[in-house]
Amino acid sequence: MKFLSLIFKNVFRKKTRTILTIGSIILPLLIICIMGSFLKALDAPDPAETRGMFRIVTRHKVGFTNDLPISYVERIRQLDGALAVTTFDWFGGTYIDNSARNFFARFAVEPETFLQVFDDAKVTRGSIDDWMSDRAGALVGEDLMKKYGWRMGDQIVLVGDIYPVALQLTIRTVYGVSYGGSDGLFFNRKYLEEALPSFEGTVGTIWTKCRDAEAANRLSDEIDRIFENSPYPTITESEKAFQMGFVSMLGNVKLLITSLGIIIVLVIILIAANTMALSARERVREIAVLRTLGFTRRMILVLILGESLTLALIGGFLGLGGFILGLKPFKASLMDTPISGFASAIMLFPEVLLVGLGVTVLVGLLSGLGPAIRASQRPITEGLRHMG
Amino acid sequence: MNNPLIRVEKIVKKYHRGAEELTVLNGLNLNIEDGEFIALMGPSGSGKTTLLNLIAGIDRPTSGHVFVRTDDISSMSESGLAEWRSRHIGFIFQTYNLIPVLTAYENVELPLLLTPLGGAERRKHVEIALYIVGLADRMSHYPSQLSGGQEQRVAIARAIVTDPTLLIADEPTGDLDAKSAEEVLVLLERLNIEFKKTIVMVTHDPKAAARARRLVRLEKGILIEENHMDGHSSSGLTDGINVSGISAKSE
Repeated sequence: MKFLSLIFKNVFRKKTRTILTIGSIILPLLIICIMGSFLKALDAPDPAETRGMFRIVTRHKVGFTNDLPISYVERIRQLDGALAVTTFDWFGGTYIDNSARNFFARFAVEPETFLQVFDDAKVTRGSIDDWMSDRAGALVGEDLMKKYGWRMGDQIVLVGDIYPVALQLTIRTVYGVSYGGSDGLFFNRKYLEEALPSFEGTVGTIWTKCRDAEAANRLSDEIDRIFENSPYPTITESEKAFQMGFVSMLGNVKLLITSLGIIIVLVIILIAANTMALSARERVREIAVLRTLGFTRRMILVLILGESLTLALIGGFLGLGGFILGLKPFKASLMDTPISGFASAIMLFPEVLLVGLGVTVLVGLLSGLGPAIRASQRPITEGLRHMG
Repeated sequence: MNNPLIRVEKIVKKYHRGAEELTVLNGLNLNIEDGEFIALMGPSGSGKTTLLNLIAGIDRPTSGHVFVRTDDISSMSESGLAEWRSRHIGFIFQTYNLIPVLTAYENVELPLLLTPLGGAERRKHVEIALYIVGLADRMSHYPSQLSGGQEQRVAIARAIVTDPTLLIADEPTGDLDAKSAEEVLVLLERLNIEFKKTIVMVTHDPKAAARARRLVRLEKGILIEENHMDGHSSSGLTDGINVSGISAKSE
């Protein structure tokens, strides 16, 4: 403890350099924490599954853009363990403009079965009957209503971008969920079929609510086996795996993020090591004087490692503090982007904070090790002769 | 002369510069008595600083032995030697070598951090050491706020604060103006006479050497002359005070 003052005074010997080095630790650490949280969010358990809702998604084996015959819905409904089945068709279209801010989920669904499968969503305004009774009616999430200041009965126009049609929808029902975001817009697939006859007889994805985990696992295999040799083979997977499929379209995101994280850690170590090397080199003579006074090689090693660790910990704690304070506004800023779904899963994971702290200690120790060993091993007489 | 404090026996020190071997000290013998004030003089490269470093335990001889009392410091381990230095040696350098980020108080306290003394005891020792060198009112000053002479006096306070067996001074007045040099020499003389400190000083300055009780001249690593000086100046010594066990007695 009595050497702490010496360590602190040496750390802040060159204030500008120290502040810049601390800054060079804070910012990359923030990025590491954000990337770590993103990775954790990707690995987070399926929120629906943890609430006892075992949903599986069936799509064309080739990809999202290939449709399946609507007859598959009935075949799946007959299977043991399938409690409810519904369909999803992506319409897309433009609302206001094509900016990320005005991007939200817009799907044609079956109103009759939609909330049977997604029974974790609760109607908060209007009713299912209101929605079903108007073919151009829309079911809208509370968050989306709030974002655009919409009211019940408002008309929403989606101008087709893939398809040459504009859909004029009326808000009839509003839903909310107790977790995550309620930012989707759903409308009757019959309305879409009327506007675009090409949608008749086909379906984009089929969503099945299963009785339990065992049924979900079994049905995933069974469904794919049934349609294996048909002209429209399927892939059936959990809701979570299905969502991950969108992320994996970007490539091996986890590997990319992990690799970037490692590179960032190495860069911080090099920056901090450079500072420590400069600091130790400037003090060759002083260190020799300390050794003449009786400081052992081990003490010099500990003092210099203590300095690098102090430097890293100051940067680390400021970085982690900044991350904790900045997480909420950061998440809020992502809510208007296409990755809002993943952003909502980002939270303050204790594991990420521990990794951040681990990185800090690693940076502190590794950056100081080389300079500390060199300084402690240099002969005293050589150090005393050092000019500089 | 029966029980010398320091006994240098057949000391040889060789350095290698590339393929060339340089013999800096060549079988030198020297005894230093307890309480002596000895000046080592000689031309550059004569081996005086090397001899000083060997006596202080910051360098090791190629062969031969250095005994301080009964300790053969040339055979001690690295950490044992560091611990020995902290207890027995006080260093005074030509360029003061104070730590610039520490105040005068903190610089003097440094060697005490290696002792088991508590904060209050350390404070007492530091205050007395700074009082002896006449800088009790400069405790919170940083080296950059002190004159050269004051810096050297802080360095002397740092050297004496642990009450070492031996004070090693390497050109202690080499960087000072005449007035400051005189103050430092008076202080060293006082430490020798009043506090019975044994001092080994390397100097080029005949005036500084004249303050010592014995003058040893080296040339090419060999001791060529030893003079016991007479009538070194006394400096108006004060009444007895006790500093870290340093007993001050009037001559």
